[in-house]
Amino acid sequence: MRKRTLHRTLRGFWWLTLLFLYLPLAVVVLFSFNASNSAASFTGVSLRWYRRLLSNDVILSAFSNSMVLAVVSSVIALVIGCLIGYGMYRHRHRKLGWLIVLIYLPIVLPDIVFGISEMAFFVQVNRLTGLFQPGLGTMVIAHVTFQIPFVALIVYSRFVGLDPTLFEAATDLYATPAKRVLHFMLPTLKPALISAFFLSFTLSVDDFVISFFTSGPESATLPIYIWSAIKKGVSPEINAIASLMIGAVAIAAVFSMLVNRRQT
Amino acid sequence: MATTSRLRRRYSSIREARHLLLTVAPGAAWIMVFLVLPSLYLMAVAFMTNGPYGLPQMPLSLESFKRLAGFGFLGWSPGNLYTLLRSLWQTIIATGLVVIVAYPIAYYITTCRAKWRPIMLLLVVVPSWTNQVIRTFGWMNLLAPGTPLSSFAESLGFIAPNMGLYPSSFAVTLGLIYNFLPFMVLPLYAAFEKLDLAQVEAAQDLYATPVRAFWYAVFPQTLAGLLAGVVLVAIPAFGMYVIPELLGGGKSLMLGNLVANQFSGGANWPLGAAGAILMLLATFIGLFAMRRIGKRLGGGEQVVI
Repeated sequence: MRKRTLHRTLRGFWWLTLLFLYLPLAVVVLFSFNASNSAASFTGVSLRWYRRLLSNDVILSAFSNSMVLAVVSSVIALVIGCLIGYGMYRHRHRKLGWLIVLIYLPIVLPDIVFGISEMAFFVQVNRLTGLFQPGLGTMVIAHVTFQIPFVALIVYSRFVGLDPTLFEAATDLYATPAKRVLHFMLPTLKPALISAFFLSFTLSVDDFVISFFTSGPESATLPIYIWSAIKKGVSPEINAIASLMIGAVAIAAVFSMLVNRRQT
Repeated sequence: MATTSRLRRRYSSIREARHLLLTVAPGAAWIMVFLVLPSLYLMAVAFMTNGPYGLPQMPLSLESFKRLAGFGFLGWSPGNLYTLLRSLWQTIIATGLVVIVAYPIAYYITTCRAKWRPIMLLLVVVPSWTNQVIRTFGWMNLLAPGTPLSSFAESLGFIAPNMGLYPSSFAVTLGLIYNFLPFMVLPLYAAFEKLDLAQVEAAQDLYATPVRAFWYAVFPQTLAGLLAGVVLVAIPAFGMYVIPELLGGGKSLMLGNLVANQFSGGANWPLGAAGAILMLLATFIGLFAMRRIGKRLGGGEQVVI
């Protein structure tokens, strides 16, 4: 009897927590359809803020910056991280402690320390040599730095999950290194590569702090645009652009739910 | 050369060493050049003096650490120390509240049907996939003066009329809890999933009160997950930048804001760098403590991030 009451209380608490988790997002989406300027009252449904987005060049360029940054950095991180992941696997019997420390460093370093370290470094190198002008280039460098560990770890764990004799078989059959990569490694790694790419892409789009400190005047991404719009005083357009980003996450969530279903 | 012969001795063949170098070197070099080197530079900056435009200058000094402790041109002032204490306080409160919310949630998910569990976990995690700035903006909308939540708090007499729940340090705490809840639920869920229910049943058979049953049968078994969660929550919370900046309205700054503000607008790089060193120390002490305790508990290591 007592057990049932406990379970019912827990269920109530669960729904309350869900409300807590989704209410702030729901409010943003709701007010993106608000007909009036007001942030306090909802006066009617309209799409005017979405229409305004399409004619706002700053937002469009922030969107394209976000996409270029995410794709370019993910591709570079995929190549570099893949190599490390394979190296870690192939030489896993050696003492690679220093490499593990190096790979975990970008993950454990607080965002703000990460961001300002790079900013300070880029600014000083730029003053001395003229290289690393703050902009999309420096942002790509910073993003690749925090994406590499995730790619390397995903690729490494995929290799560890494989039967080691597969590697011997490939060598025994006199496959050249190029053939081994093309016909054995890439096909077996494909799922890991796809998930590593999507994770890198998401990390890049989701990042604000590190982007904020390594960006230049012309290279604002969507989160940076939203940040400065909030700081300047809330405009209802932010609700619309934020809702679109929430929508993208919702699509990703449904997608991963479907993938989950198929696996079980 | 000496290094080559050492390599030859250490590795079975030069080819293997070259393979290791070719695969690992690009990434290792990337992280060295673009992260290790910059952080070392930042640490060096902390020991320099503040120059024009907030840029570091050469004479080495401990001035920035003194400034961090509150000693300025006008004598001692508690401003920076307040910020440090506030960061610590906010971190402790938020972590504690996150634990209190996450325990029942993680437990409840394990009691549900196996089919639903992945979806329930996903529901907890999905909000954290949206950008931090947007999530915080959502709370700004909810807590601003004149919103239902604010009016409700006003009618209960918690806040002065027309003040709103935001900006305030309460809003910052709420934002931190919101931001970090999933990071606590996931490791706790992993711990609950492995929980040996026989111990709990034994406790119930022996007429233990629910509190005692929890404390002696459940808590020790979930301690490793709890510790992992605490590290995942407390370390990033201590250096949080976005949430205090937006929800605190400049009144409840934390260490992350103190550091960041020294670098934007050219205030004082060495002071900011000194704050960053403090943050790094907190991070490494937290990770180290976690490793030690995890090792003692056995099996705690695998959950470290």
